[in-house]
Amino acid sequence: MSGEFSIIGKPTAMIDAAAKTTGAGKYTDDLRVPGMLIGKILHSPYPHARIRRIETSRAEKCEGVIAVVVGKDAPNPYGILPVGHDEYALALDKVRYVGDNVACVIAVSEAIAEKALELIDVDYEVLPAYFDPEESMKATKDLIHDSKPGNLEKDYHHVFGDPDKGFSEADHIAEARFIANEVTHAAMEPHSTLASFEIDPHTGKAGRLTVWSSTQVPYYLQHKLSLVLEMPMSQIRVIKPLVGGGFGGKSEVIPLEIIAAVAARKAQAAVKITYTREEVFWAHRGRPRTIIDLKTGIKQDGRITAVKARVVQDGGAYCSYGVVTILYSGALLGALYDIPNIQYDGYRVLTNKPACGAMRGHGTVNVRFAFESQLDELAAKIGMDPAEIRQHNLLKPPCITVNGLRVQSYGLPECIEKTVERSGWKQRKGKLLKGRGLGIACSHYVSGAANSIIRSDMPHSTVNIKIDRDGGVVVYTGASEIGQGSDTMTAQVAAEVLGCSLPRVRVIAADTDLTPIDIGSYSSRVTFMAGNATLRAATEVKKLIAAAAAKQMGCAVEDLIFRNDQVFKQNAAAASGAGLANESIRSKRDEASVSGRVEGQILRGSLQQKRKEEGPKDSLTFEEAVVAAIDFHGTLTGTGSYAPPQEARGGKHKGAGVGPSPAYSYSAQVAEVSVDEETGEVVVHKVWAAHDCGRALNPVSVEGQIIGSVWMGMGQALTEEMVWKDGMLMNPGLLEYRSPSSVESPEIEPIIVESIDPEGPFGAKECSEGSLAATIPAIANAIYDAVGVRLHESPFTPERVLAALRAKRNAKSLGLTEGVDPTAPARFREHGGSLCFKGKGPERHALDPSRNSAPAVPGRAD
Amino acid sequence: MSLPEFRLLRPRSIEDAVRCLSEHLGKDGLSLRMLAGGTDLIPSMRQKLFEPEYVLDLRGIVAMRGIRPQGDGGVEIGALTTLRAIERSDFLRQHYAVLTEAAATVASPVLRNMGTIGGNICLDTRCLWYNQSLTWRKGCGFCIKKDGDLCHVAPGGTKCWAVFSGDTPPALLCLDAEIEIASANGVRRVPLNDFYTGLGDNYRKLQPNELVTRIFLPASTAGYRGVYRKLRVRGSIDYPLAGVAVAMKSYDGHVADARIAVTAVNPAPLLVKGAGELLMGKPLDEALAEAVGDLAAKTAKPLTTSALTPEYRREMIRVFAKRAVLAAAAN
Repeated sequence: MSGEFSIIGKPTAMIDAAAKTTGAGKYTDDLRVPGMLIGKILHSPYPHARIRRIETSRAEKCEGVIAVVVGKDAPNPYGILPVGHDEYALALDKVRYVGDNVACVIAVSEAIAEKALELIDVDYEVLPAYFDPEESMKATKDLIHDSKPGNLEKDYHHVFGDPDKGFSEADHIAEARFIANEVTHAAMEPHSTLASFEIDPHTGKAGRLTVWSSTQVPYYLQHKLSLVLEMPMSQIRVIKPLVGGGFGGKSEVIPLEIIAAVAARKAQAAVKITYTREEVFWAHRGRPRTIIDLKTGIKQDGRITAVKARVVQDGGAYCSYGVVTILYSGALLGALYDIPNIQYDGYRVLTNKPACGAMRGHGTVNVRFAFESQLDELAAKIGMDPAEIRQHNLLKPPCITVNGLRVQSYGLPECIEKTVERSGWKQRKGKLLKGRGLGIACSHYVSGAANSIIRSDMPHSTVNIKIDRDGGVVVYTGASEIGQGSDTMTAQVAAEVLGCSLPRVRVIAADTDLTPIDIGSYSSRVTFMAGNATLRAATEVKKLIAAAAAKQMGCAVEDLIFRNDQVFKQNAAAASGAGLANESIRSKRDEASVSGRVEGQILRGSLQQKRKEEGPKDSLTFEEAVVAAIDFHGTLTGTGSYAPPQEARGGKHKGAGVGPSPAYSYSAQVAEVSVDEETGEVVVHKVWAAHDCGRALNPVSVEGQIIGSVWMGMGQALTEEMVWKDGMLMNPGLLEYRSPSSVESPEIEPIIVESIDPEGPFGAKECSEGSLAATIPAIANAIYDAVGVRLHESPFTPERVLAALRAKRNAKSLGLTEGVDPTAPARFREHGGSLCFKGKGPERHALDPSRNSAPAVPGRAD
Repeated sequence: MSLPEFRLLRPRSIEDAVRCLSEHLGKDGLSLRMLAGGTDLIPSMRQKLFEPEYVLDLRGIVAMRGIRPQGDGGVEIGALTTLRAIERSDFLRQHYAVLTEAAATVASPVLRNMGTIGGNICLDTRCLWYNQSLTWRKGCGFCIKKDGDLCHVAPGGTKCWAVFSGDTPPALLCLDAEIEIASANGVRRVPLNDFYTGLGDNYRKLQPNELVTRIFLPASTAGYRGVYRKLRVRGSIDYPLAGVAVAMKSYDGHVADARIAVTAVNPAPLLVKGAGELLMGKPLDEALAEAVGDLAAKTAKPLTTSALTPEYRREMIRVFAKRAVLAAAAN
């Protein structure tokens, strides 16, 4: 069997899988350096307060405490977006959410640091706080940030086409409010950072800084550290060890990363901080609670005439990625279906809660839930099959959408066809047992943003390749492996181009001293961008090898084929009957046995020399070709970079920078659910998920990403919800924040659709995020199909489903959802209970030093 | 979050254990905590809900493990018997089905390997305002159950409403279980029904120097059909948000004896009063089951101690009680 490719397109085990599965792999918290200290952060107990005074002297006097860091130790602001530098390492004068960072104790052990936290006295002036974005927008005083009137981080108002005309042409219009409650990433690995300064040998002072951190964006971290610490970037080295999942929660600079570095500087020792799970929830940067007022018009034939969306995001206390999130929510109304007229009003609002940021499917997921639900309602209105109405609104690529997004490859039609076929949609829809139903929905996502958030024309990815006389291929990439398989993808692409075997390739990734710049693992950009950069670097090296090999083999460069660790003449391969068959080439190589013996001996060179002197050959082993190339060129390196083409960078309107991508992935899903009409419990039995990833470089990895997306989407659809009461997060742990367990995990049938993108590496696009957004509306639509209730508020918890069911059958209201109708939610619902004491809390605690005349001093008790 | 410092005591016998208890009680009785499976105690200690000077690790006491059928047809279960062992016991499944069913729903397999029946009986009551880190609780101003003087769940009240969240006690109540309690003063045996106070903070009648050593199930309830129904958001890991246990004996298509108990909706697991009388001597049909459900719902007083709304949890007690008696009758 010979295919077009020898490495890509084959299910390939992750190259770092063994270390992870045996426990040998090192994550940041596994690291320690001599003399390392532990940092613990003091968090604000108030949602909004001015800091009058911080008194740290008692904590500093504790035995085992080396230093206490406060805001004024590093007063420079930072933030992931250039327009959002509103965060400080530690609060300067104000805290803005329960959990905000106030001080950090550096001590010889975690226990001592924790005890010393209790000895820091902070004098707060409590301010009125804002928890509901629509209330927050009305604020005139006690603003969360003085520079943001009306607590409005950013608002955008876009009109594309003529929405009014579109609605006037519509035969049916649906209009409703949807609410999607807040969710977080819940990555398995809590954030961890280890920071260590070297002593400058000339001055004896703190010199270069090395930071190991669980991050998706080592280069952004290097940049922000340089801003806060006032150090040149060249003096800061960021290393990303293994990362246990990111999902966006590590796609920006998280407070502990800055705090650890500031702490290491002050303590004059290496400092490690690892978040508790509760701190991970406070660091957050998840998907904001979102209010979507959506209006869609269609013609009787199912064609969409106009869409109008007003989106309000409850963004939390800092900007984070907020400006990008609110733009994605509007921009990606386009590029899935052909919508001629779009009006979008987006409001990113500040509230006194942890900052929301980027999370898998950034900005698109909640709006997609609303849109796909409403489309289903409209299909029902005109009596059209829900799959069919989607097929009536397809784009006709290549095209540019009304809001300026360029679409080239477009596998959505095939995705819909395949899911419909595999799920037995046509035969089974509407014919299932009572309480059981099918729902369909679609989604899409960018393969990397065409415009980087740092607004620079530099390449988004650069890759260097070095091959030495040992025949080993070393790929240096700044792309961050966070569990998604980026290192494996890089190795596969390099091996495919060079025609060498996978074990020959070593990937050195995400170390700012060693690897060329890459803007990070977010917005599903790595396969497309770092993949293209790898492809280009490998092609460049291959040219060098080919030139030398062709000379030695006495043929033209064009006649060479690189495959299976061999370089051979095209016609020779055909003549010998070996063709491209992997097996025969392998056995041929073994017979020649030169390569086998020569491996590891090429530095000695005698055998090489002998073979070289034998005259022109029909084939060379990879090592021979490499040695020939190094002898010829002196060194064998190549470099490649990728910057999105100008045509893909979108329109000119304000905010046009977010949404454009060189390519979009597409997804269609059918969910089969059953609903218990007496309890409101929803069981997802199966999800058929088709995803257009351009080309599956590693099919097993693509399937894993589709399954993971569906599973994560199901969590947001059914069980996951951050529950608030006046700024207190009621469920800051994995017991009460309920990600699905293996028991609820449905059968997921991933279906790979390959549209072969003209610009992707070997035609590949993204596969990690696009599938998530379809799952939530697919389940919502399936619930409707099963029991006839249309939920407009996620997650579809049993209380919400039952409330809707009871309302439908006109049963007596039991107040199951405390007055918020899940089929027409008007406002956010907070957790019940009381915080009427307001601000009396801390003084009551037994450990509070002010209660005891002679407080226990930690570390001195015998 | 680090574990607070403590000294670990590791008795090898019940006598050793009760001696440790009386020696290290401390003035207020708060300086020692017992560890059986540790699945609840360890996270709570990390959250600084308990900062005992001593931890009494009971796991080395072999005499407190095991399921021992008695000559009279009853059974004696050591308090340290793991929930996994109970779930897997053929004898218990055959004779006291409701108990194995309830045990099998506790948390997750990994936790059931560690967690014990004694620990499940003594399980600390839970509340979203209580089972939080020290830092979090500072933010809410603490509560009656720990370090504070008010209740967030029933504002203005002086009673703690933390909810009892064990799965096996309602089953045990239905089976007329008794427990043996040992102390330096000797042993006493009390019906499990008298063990709980109904208060959220001081939730059980156990002196600081006392230890639950054994559970007895009488011959009289052996062979009762049993069903346990548990409300939870996930199919694993979660504590109950509402739970209903039913044990029932039928004769000739009529209910001869029945008991129903609810959990996770009050500060104690409670037998539903009048349920037995309501069912006695009648053939079980949908209408009767509905009536039982209504009765159970009246016993439930859920508050905002847990996830999902109290109204929903009470409604589920009604639905689950109805379903449970129907399922028990159909068994």
